[in-house]
Amino acid sequence: MISTDRAVPSYRLAPNYRPFVMPALIVVCAVIIFPWAFTVWMSANDWTLGQARTFVGAENYINLALDARFWESLWHTIYYTALAVILPLFLGTIAALIFDEQFPLRGFLRGVFVMPMMATPVAIALVWTMMFHPQLGILNYFLSLVGIEAQGWIYDQATVIPSLVIVEVWQWTPLVMLIVLGGLAAVPREPYESAEIDGANGWQKFRYLTLPMIGPFLMIAVIIRTIDALKSFDIIYAMTQGGPGTASETINIYLYNVAFSYYNIGYASAMAIIFFILIVILSFVLLIVRQCTVWSQAGDGK
Amino acid sequence: MASVRIVNAKKNFGAVKVIRGVDIDIADGEFVVLVGPSGCGKSTLLRMIAGLEEVSGGEIYIGQREVSHLRARDRDIAMVFQNYALYPHMTVSDNMGFALKLKKAGEQEMNDKVARAASILGLENLLERLPRQLSGGQRQRVAMGRAIVRDPQVFLFDEPLSNLDAKLRVQMRGEIRALHRRIGTTTIYVTHDQVEAMTMADKIVVLHDGLVEQIGTPLELYDRPDNLFVAGFIGSPAMNFIDGRIENGEFKAIGGLALPLPEGLPAGKFAGVELVYGIRPEHIRAKADGIQGTVDLVEGTGSEVYAKLDCQGQAIYCLFRERIQIEYQQSLCIGLDPSLVHIFDKATGKRVVV
Amino acid sequence: MTHKILGRIGFLFAALVFVSPVVLFFLWMLSLSLKFEIDNAAYPPVFIPEHFAWSNYVKVFAENNFFRYFWNSLLVTGTATLLALVIGVPAGYGIARLKAQKSAIVIMIARMTPGLSFLIPMFLLFQWMNLIGTLWPQIIIHLVVTVPLVVWIMMGYFETTPIELEEAASIDGATSWQVFRMVALPIAKPGIVVSFILSIIFSWNNFVFGVVLANRETRTLPVAVYNMLSFEQVSWGPLAAAALIVTLPVLILTMFAQKEIVAGLTAGAVKGG
Repeated sequence: MISTDRAVPSYRLAPNYRPFVMPALIVVCAVIIFPWAFTVWMSANDWTLGQARTFVGAENYINLALDARFWESLWHTIYYTALAVILPLFLGTIAALIFDEQFPLRGFLRGVFVMPMMATPVAIALVWTMMFHPQLGILNYFLSLVGIEAQGWIYDQATVIPSLVIVEVWQWTPLVMLIVLGGLAAVPREPYESAEIDGANGWQKFRYLTLPMIGPFLMIAVIIRTIDALKSFDIIYAMTQGGPGTASETINIYLYNVAFSYYNIGYASAMAIIFFILIVILSFVLLIVRQCTVWSQAGDGK
Repeated sequence: MASVRIVNAKKNFGAVKVIRGVDIDIADGEFVVLVGPSGCGKSTLLRMIAGLEEVSGGEIYIGQREVSHLRARDRDIAMVFQNYALYPHMTVSDNMGFALKLKKAGEQEMNDKVARAASILGLENLLERLPRQLSGGQRQRVAMGRAIVRDPQVFLFDEPLSNLDAKLRVQMRGEIRALHRRIGTTTIYVTHDQVEAMTMADKIVVLHDGLVEQIGTPLELYDRPDNLFVAGFIGSPAMNFIDGRIENGEFKAIGGLALPLPEGLPAGKFAGVELVYGIRPEHIRAKADGIQGTVDLVEGTGSEVYAKLDCQGQAIYCLFRERIQIEYQQSLCIGLDPSLVHIFDKATGKRVVV
Repeated sequence: MTHKILGRIGFLFAALVFVSPVVLFFLWMLSLSLKFEIDNAAYPPVFIPEHFAWSNYVKVFAENNFFRYFWNSLLVTGTATLLALVIGVPAGYGIARLKAQKSAIVIMIARMTPGLSFLIPMFLLFQWMNLIGTLWPQIIIHLVVTVPLVVWIMMGYFETTPIELEEAASIDGATSWQVFRMVALPIAKPGIVVSFILSIIFSWNNFVFGVVLANRETRTLPVAVYNMLSFEQVSWGPLAAAALIVTLPVLILTMFAQKEIVAGLTAGAVKGG
């Protein structure tokens, strides 16, 4: 029993993994934690770059709540996000169901289909801008071929957001497809065989087997798509800069204008924080919904 | 080569006591098997000896050196893992030479030692292959080769045969034994398979719930199990246990069945004490004037007959090495050799010394 | 048998319908970049011109300092990716082995934060440090994208590599650094390739950081091509040519590394920005 009185050895047997993490920890603190802390502090100040800074507490937040342009941009963001989530989800799921099957050139075509997602957004946006051109754009030419009158696309306040979403859908449907394809790969074979014996038709198999089983994956796609659509900047900025007027000004674009056109750093910081909180809340709500889809899968099969 | 001494070793994972004070003495050159059911702590104990788990209490000595708090790399041991743990990106010879490379041994020395180990294990033609190009048995040999090349003080084996099929397992069992006979390094071998333990060990340590139940040679454990746990764990099929008491110089089972007692048992001393009567199935013979029972189950393998008898409500399993014709529901008389009977105290589980 | 073949042709056809907007888009992009202004302004549109305007490509490099911007992009993307690997791979290893899943929250935060939010404080910081006008602000802020990406992918990778190998190595006498360098790292090579490729792509494509932090000398390609639109007279041919030049390296990489990209994106389901 004397041995138990001995001092605890000064080192541990298990390898020390902390040194491996240290550099990343420093970087994360420098480029992620510090900016956030600094932003919170700035948001409590009235501070336009080049002018004096005064501490104003919550005033920026109150102004934000009274800012009609902010509310308008919030509405644009929601509108844009809803379309940019639902359409890729729908199309991506169909694409995944197709690419889950066996057919010639499958690997090659999937490779082509994935390319928009990796392409440089600004470059893509410029070409779409040309395609949307009301007089010379190829899209209006195609419409004229099938007898539809020319559209204003991104140059018309009424159609600018759906037009931007077309680009977003074109670019990000492949990501939804990849996620759902991953889900389909995890689906077991046997239930389909037993459903076949039970006499289920193709739609019933999709509705009662496939859909519940890929549910959690669809939710992952929804979460990722939602976060990305809310944050969308490159395409909107490159194509319309929020215009015409402010018809396509989302929170992110408004934030950019306040911060880097008007250099109103304090106000922009408050907006950045509110925007981030919105994203976090929405993500958590979706995560909770996802938990529910996982449970119902194990439940009564509904 | 060295002896290994484990003194009052303890290991806690949080509040869970996995090893609760274990003492084991292993002589230089001995082949010791740690055996026990899953969860008994045998692998944890091995990992403590290896230096992969910290010791919560007690000491571990290799030779004269206390190693309880040394890192694995400073203990001069070699270990063969259950799934071999071969480095997938290195060839067989690089796998075997890795430890020497770390020691900065010369090219010549490395090649010599690898070649010698390869010839011992018959791996000469596989040296340039990658692990994924090998069969299960070959991987097993490479893992052993990696240990041999080190020329360590102690070999540790953690269930090395459990990923092999039954036939290969028997073959590798023999090879590991032969290897030990040839190089004579102190070996500690963990398994849950008592047949492996019985066939390979110089000395078996039976572990249960983090404590040593018994240490002895295979035959000692078989012939004189110290307690009910060891009696039930060692031997296949398992020993029959019958609850009852001693009355009038006879063992009276709870259903009323009377069984013969070993000679020299101070019967009077145990009058009224609750006991357990143990007899191995293979120590029961068919005997015309013996205890009568009804056959409940018969399984013949050709070489032996395994039967379950109902003797006055008491189930007794028998293993007959001779071929006897018995049918389901037939009546059969059996005899037991009293000198092969084990008596245990039911309350403590300890063997009642004859 | 025949209806199986018919089914396959049906799926091929359906897949072609989905892929056609992608193919048509890139073909139109190519067509725009190879036409003179007359053809680009024609109505109905000309798809394949009589004369190819190779001069559009020459013009991009001749008039816009594009070599400079290409070099900037290479430097920013290359440095940000290499730094991210040097920092992120060991971190992914440490986090996986420490089972410090909670640190993943930091990565999730980085993933959810709009790039602009980082820009406001960092912009001020770079001003105070007098770094504006060099490439360093862009390299540093690209780490916001690349480091979490690399850590995330490598963490997942190291979690799946068996710990016994590392235990075997430590018994063989390796220090924890040797275990990492000689055993864990070589085994994780496919994961490193995946995170390298994705890090390159997301860093190369990034636009918002450059728009704020770059000046005339330090622009990366996406910013440069955007500036062609706003500051030069708009001529479609050279603009499309420039757009193609910017995105071509990424498209080629996507083509060759399709398998790795798909693996990385479905495993971590991550996107930079």
